[in-house]
Parts: sequence; structure tokens; C-alpha cells
Amino acid sequence: MRRDCLLCLVVVLLCIVGVAAVYSVDPLREEGLVAQSPFGRQLLWNFVGWGVFALFRFVDFQWFLKRSWIWYLISVLALGGVLLFGESDETGAKRWLFSRSVQPSELSKFALLLFLSWYLSVNRDTLGLWNLLIKSAFLVAVPAFLIFLEPDLGTALVFGVLWFGALLVGGWRAKQLGILSGILLGLLFPSWFFLRDYQRKRILAFFDPWQDPLGSGYNVVQSQIAIGAGGVFGQGWLSGKQAQLRFLPARHTDFIFASWCEQLGFIGGVILILLFGILFWIILDTAIRTRELEKKFFASLFGLMLLFQVSVNIGMNLGIAPVTGIPLPFVSYGGSSLFVYLACAGVVARIAWEAEEGEKQRWT
Amino acid sequence: MWSEELEERIRRRIVLLFWLGIALFCILFGRLWYLSILRAEWFQERSERNRVRVVFLQALRGNIYDRNGFCFAKDTPRFRLILLAGSEKEGILQRIEGVLGRKVTFSLRERGAGEMVLLEDLSLEDVVKIEENREALPGVLIETYPLRSYELGEVFAPIIGYVGRISAEELKTLGKMGYRTEDRVGKSGVEASYEGILRGGEGYRRVEVDALGRVVRVLDFRSASFTRSVQLTIDAELQKASYEALGKRNGVVIVGNPQNGEILAFVSKPSFDPNLFSRGITVQEWSRLIQGTSNPLLIRPVQALYPPGSLFKILIALAAQEEGVVAPREVFFCPGYLDYGGRRYLCWKREGHGRVSFEDAIAHSCNVAFYTMGLRLGPEKIARYAKMFGFGEDPHFDLLGTRTGLLPTPEWKRETLREIWYPGDTMNLSIGQGYLLVTPLEMYLLLCAVANRGKVYDPHVLLRVLDAGGHILQETKPYLRRTITLRPQTWDTIIRGMEKVVTRGTGFNCRGLPVRLAAKTGTAQNPQGREHSWFGCFFPSDNPRFVLLVLVEHGGDGSGEAAQVARRIIEWILRERGV
Ligand SMILES: [Zn+2]
Repeated sequence: MRRDCLLCLVVVLLCIVGVAAVYSVDPLREEGLVAQSPFGRQLLWNFVGWGVFALFRFVDFQWFLKRSWIWYLISVLALGGVLLFGESDETGAKRWLFSRSVQPSELSKFALLLFLSWYLSVNRDTLGLWNLLIKSAFLVAVPAFLIFLEPDLGTALVFGVLWFGALLVGGWRAKQLGILSGILLGLLFPSWFFLRDYQRKRILAFFDPWQDPLGSGYNVVQSQIAIGAGGVFGQGWLSGKQAQLRFLPARHTDFIFASWCEQLGFIGGVILILLFGILFWIILDTAIRTRELEKKFFASLFGLMLLFQVSVNIGMNLGIAPVTGIPLPFVSYGGSSLFVYLACAGVVARIAWEAEEGEKQRWT
Repeated sequence: MWSEELEERIRRRIVLLFWLGIALFCILFGRLWYLSILRAEWFQERSERNRVRVVFLQALRGNIYDRNGFCFAKDTPRFRLILLAGSEKEGILQRIEGVLGRKVTFSLRERGAGEMVLLEDLSLEDVVKIEENREALPGVLIETYPLRSYELGEVFAPIIGYVGRISAEELKTLGKMGYRTEDRVGKSGVEASYEGILRGGEGYRRVEVDALGRVVRVLDFRSASFTRSVQLTIDAELQKASYEALGKRNGVVIVGNPQNGEILAFVSKPSFDPNLFSRGITVQEWSRLIQGTSNPLLIRPVQALYPPGSLFKILIALAAQEEGVVAPREVFFCPGYLDYGGRRYLCWKREGHGRVSFEDAIAHSCNVAFYTMGLRLGPEKIARYAKMFGFGEDPHFDLLGTRTGLLPTPEWKRETLREIWYPGDTMNLSIGQGYLLVTPLEMYLLLCAVANRGKVYDPHVLLRVLDAGGHILQETKPYLRRTITLRPQTWDTIIRGMEKVVTRGTGFNCRGLPVRLAAKTGTAQNPQGREHSWFGCFFPSDNPRFVLLVLVEHGGDGSGEAAQVARRIIEWILRERGV
């Protein structure tokens, strides 16, 4: 089977899981399909998102890549705009623009992927040098810091991971990366004092959620109960007690994995993890196959972003990662994240197709 | 510098990233395995605890029957309106008023599991209205609950008792036995004494709640059940006749069988309506009950103390005969008084009885004759005989809250009053006055002992315990508490004397009944007003099957009101029960 078709299939399955999972915890489900219900919106975003996927699948990638400075600048401006004119959500963090329809921090992930791939491949002659490392660090730090100020620790962390991943893939020496890690860890301890109270509580609760199961540990405890109570086969579609009776918080966003597992059990959870695993494999396989450096960077960094978000999100559902508000790609309710991931998937599908075409030409 | 070597390194790094990813996925997989397979049961139980709340439903109590099957007390189903936890309150209350079509005062009593009792004791009509409008009243539930109802409550309250909501104090001791804050518990009488038998199994309702504590649905319920009933030795019709025989007077009637200790009637007047307590007594009702001097909550036969008056002469006569302080055919002379130690002690008959034999002394209740006998016996012997007949001792009655009287002795007087015992005290004791105080039950037991010639059975009201289907689980066996062995002539003489009370003496009000009756009248001096009137008897005197004790408060002379009441009761027994 052709790689781009396989990738397309896996992503379609993930999106179906997402729509189904959002449907299962939709509070307005009883009233049928309503435009305002999370299920209706998720369905709508999927239609739009697949248009975006098609766009990046069929339009030449180079066109976007060459203008990545523009995307970068737009995203920095948008993030600045969020801090100035943004709207807050329930946690009190400013994350939204245009009456809570756009989350620039999500969209800037795509801009950063494009920009990093372009910037590093343009500077391919200085890969592995401290000079480029510091310049790229500065370029990533600007949007990351703006996101951190929102505050959105999770997405800021994604930016950091992407940058570190870029250094890894970009061939910086292990010794250099080791020194860098040492410096970053040294900076991490003082940063504790800059964290907001709720962020500190979340981190503390991560280490021992059962200490305070009704307070800061509530999320973690309830999501583990949901997953555990699901057992092997789950409690049945639409009948998870934890989710249906609303003990589980953020059922359709951060903790959608838990409500999925409560309904479909270990089997359902394994299927979902396997789908992500297959997708991750296809993406990294594409990164290895393609011969162009910028495409290698894009695919591998996208793979890393997927890996990071999936493992942190599912990890926090399972109680082995801190609660950071990172959504589950393709599945969690939310338009911005879905668009970004479908756009990236579209790009990778095109890269995979181009690589296969190239191989064919070489062999024929 | 871009080179082949760098390109190869990039490839290797991507492969490294790949394996890193696989490792992370394996960790997620392992953790998922741990949670949903290894620990599944534990988490399922946690989830249950999250969502299931249990509401306990009051246990039903067993019925209380009389010896012929009349039902004194039973639980009747009532309806109350419950607002389930987490429901929105204000709007619902208005809507309920709309459905019922009138203004109502809601009780709004909080109880377990966040539920609230809105209305108690709904009429059937209201229940129908609410059921018809179920849809408009989310979170509102009609619950049936048992209400204790008493038939002819005032007549039987002293023996049956009443139930009420468990108090905080009682809960401390009964909590271990599974009682809960909403439970009913017997507060007096049979309800309290046989609480352990009467209490049935409690029911429960399990509800599923959401994260906000709102009830989503009722999972299951078990209705409360009753397990055992009791049947009493009481004869309800006899008790009713006895109660009515007292008329407007306050007082006590005890009727029982001396041959096995069964109590047939146990009247205490004034009484109260126990139904007031089972539906929750109001402050006004309560203050009306405890106002005034005649405390209706006092169970007079076992809790009130009176001087026994001449009724006590039975004991003195027994002791005098048995101890031989009276010579055979001795004749006493009564001039209407006895001078002793420089004081004059009066007979109740001022002009005097003249020459009286021993049996006549009993029949006419001559004080002078008994002063003489008492002085000959001395206080120690009187006390010994009194103890023998159970005075000042636990009567072993199966109702809780029984008191014992006061039997004065020289030691008692020395210790409590710090005074020596004078012969005058002995003389007062001989005619049942002075410091001596008794409960009516103690006098009743004295009569039983005489009637049964010394064999005293424990008085009891429990006849048998029945299971839910009415089958007998357990029957009370008569318990012979003590046998007082006196010479047969002693018993004969005393019983003959008591028969003469009716035929020739103070019991003239009971003369002419078609049964051999042995009786004794008594007049208890009462510093607060008119004397209390006693009458004790048993019949047929050759083989007594009924012992009857009547006390009429402020009834005056024992030969008057008490004897008239007794006569009405005896006539009723002869007519309705036969002998
Ligand atoms: Zn006399």
C-alpha cells in the first residue's frame, strides 16, 4: 500500500475516533445533532480540516516553505495580539482571539514547524555549530515566551521540545546537547518561582494525586478511575459512569482518552495507541526516505511533536505525566489543534508521495 | 559543513527518535495494562463509591396483640414527599404548591445523603395529584414510611407505651446495633421493653448520583420488613371495662391471674394518646401533657408511690398468725383508741369496735387490734415478713421503668433520718401509714401471694412472640419466683377473714356477688387532699383465678369508691369471662 494512502487512512481513523469520542460525552447528545453541540462542531471542523489536509496534500510544499519567515512573523504578531486583546477561558489563561474561535498558540506550532525546517535547511552548512544553535534558540524563544506568558505551559513546552528535537535531528553533537541539557536543567529550578499557583499545584498533584483526591489531584484520580473501571472490554459504548455522570473533568478535551477507555476498555485504548504508533512510524519512515533536508526536518519534527503530545496527554490520563493541558492530536475536541495536525499530516502525505515518486523515477 | 557524514548522522538521529517513540508507546501500553487489567477491580469499586449513595428506609415494627388477637399497635403506611439530593429547590416548592392547588408549609427537614423531607403524612388525594404531575417535578419522590398507630391509645398507653425518633443520647448506645438517626425506637411500655423483638429489618434505596451529587436514577430498593410480633397477656376488653369503671376518677386497676403471673388489665389514669408521639409531638401538645399536677406520663401501677393504708394489714395479720403472737380465739377490745407511751392512737371508728375476734379485726379493719399485733411483732419481724412478700424488692416485672416502694425499718430510719425508731412508728406501720410507701404492683403481688397460698409467679405481660406469618416462635413460661411457706391454718384464717370483709365488714359494696370473694379495703392518708381509696380482692377464694387491685386517687374511704369500681369490674368478669 502506498505510504500516503496508509497515512491518510490512519488519520481518517483517528478523526473518526475523535468525533465518536466527542459524541459519547456530548452533554447535548440527547437533543440530536445541534450546531452548537461539541459533537456538531467537531464534525464541522473535521470537514474544514480535511479541506486543509487536501490543500497541503496537493499544493507544492516549497511555496509555503519559502515564505516561512512570513508565517513566523504572523504567528509572533498573533501571539502578541493574544496578550494584548486576547480573551480568557475558564482557567483564567488568555489563549483566544476573535471571540474564542482561534487559538494562535496552536496555529503557531505549524508556523514554527515550517520555519524551523526552512531555517535549518537554509543554514545547512552551519549545522552542528554553537552559532546556529544560539540563533535558533532565540528565534524559538520569542514565540515560546509569548505563549508562556498567556500562560500556556503545555504549548510552550511543545516549542521547547521541537527546538531540542531540531538540534537532535540537525546533527548537533551529543556533547553539545549534554551541555545544553545541563544549562536548561539549571534554569528549570528557578523557573519554579515564575509558575502560577495552579501550575505548581498541578505539578505537585502529579507526584501524589491520591493525597488530595478531591482537590488538585481530582483530575488525575478521576481519569485513572475511569480507565481502571473500564476493564478489558469497557463498560460499553455511551455508558461510562465516570464520564456520563461528569465525575471526569475535561471529558471531551484533555481527558478524552480516559472516557474512551472507560467505554471501550483496554481493547479500545490499545487500538488508539496503536493507531498513533502506526502514524508515528509512517511519519518517521517518510522522514528517512525523503532526500531533501527541509522535508526530513519537517517530517521528523512533526513526528516528534505528535509523539510528545500523545505521550504527555495519554500519560496524564494514565497518571504518569503531569496535567499540562496538552490536547490529544486529532481526537480532542477543538478546531485549532485539529487544523494544525491535519495540515501537517497533509504536508507529510505529500512528502511521502513525492518520495515514492522520486524512488520510482530513480528505479525506472 | 554539509557532508555525507552529516547526512548519515541525521538519518541515525531520526532512527534514534523512532526508537525513543517506540519506547514511550510501550510505557503507555504497560501503564494501560496495569490500570485496566491488573487493577480493574479496585478502580471499579472506586467508581461505584463515586456514584452510588444508599438511603436507608425505616424498619417496620411488629404488631402488638392482646391475648384474644385484638391489635393494640401496628405500623400503617404513610406517604412523605422527598426532594432528592442536588435538586433545585425554590422553583420546585412553588410548583408543588401549584400542583396541590394550595399553600403548604414545607417541613424542609434535611436527612441522610443530602435528601430533604418536604411534606409528611400526605393525604391519598395529594399523592395522586403529585403522581399525575411527575414530569413537572423532577427530583421529587414519594416515599412510603411507617407510622405507628395505636388503637384506643389512651386506654392502653401505660402498658403499650409509645415510639419516637431516636434521641442523640440513645443513638450513642444503640448505634452499634444498627440504629440510625431517622429511626424510631420504643420509648416506654412494651414498645421499649420488647424493642429487640419488635424492631424489623430496615430497607434501603440505592441511588446513582452525578459529580454534583444530583440523583440520576434509583438503582434498586428493598422495602422495610417486619419480622416479629408480640402477643400480650392483656385482655383488651377487660382493660377497657376497667378503664371505664374508673369513670372520671384517676387511679389504677390491675387484674391478673395469680396462678401463672399473667397480667390481664393494667390501667393507669390519667393517660395520654401515644399517637401524638408517633407522628411527632408539637410543643403545644407537649406542654398541655405535662401541665397540671396529674402527670399522665407517669405509669402509676409501677412508678407512683402511695401509702398502702389498711391493705397492709393483710401482711400484719399473716405475720401475727404465723408467729403465734395472737392466741387462738383471742378477742381484742377496741374502745376506739389505744393509749401507748403517753399518746393516744385512734381507731378509724371513733366509737370503737368493742370486742373483736382476729377474723373480725380483718373484716372491720380495726386499727386497735392491729396496733396491738404490730407492737407484739416489733418492727424487725414486720420488715422480715414484708421482705418475704417482696416489699422494697425488684418485682421482676417485664416492663421497663418499674420502681420499688419504701419499706421503713429501724436501721433505715437511723441512717436516713438520723432518728431512733419509736413504738409509734411500729403502730403506724401496722396500719400501713407512716413512712411506708408502695407501688400498686407491690400490693397486687401481696394479694397474689395470699391468693396462691405463698406461690408467687413473676408478673408479666408478654404471652408469646409470633413470626411474620403469625406462627408462635416463643411462649412465656410462668416463672415461680418464690414460695412463702406458712402454716396452712395461717392462710386459711387470713382468707376467711378477707371473705368476711365482704360478707360482714368494710367491703359491703361488693356484697351479694355470685362468687366467693376475698377482699380488703384500704384508705391511704394523703397530705395533699382527700385520701386515696384502695380495694384489693381475689376470687373465687377457694381457687383464685383473678386478683384485682383498684386504687382511686382522692377516692376517700376504701369501702366507698374503690369498692364500687371493683364491683363493676368483678361483675363484668363474671358476665363476660365466667369463673
Ligand atoms: Zn376498732
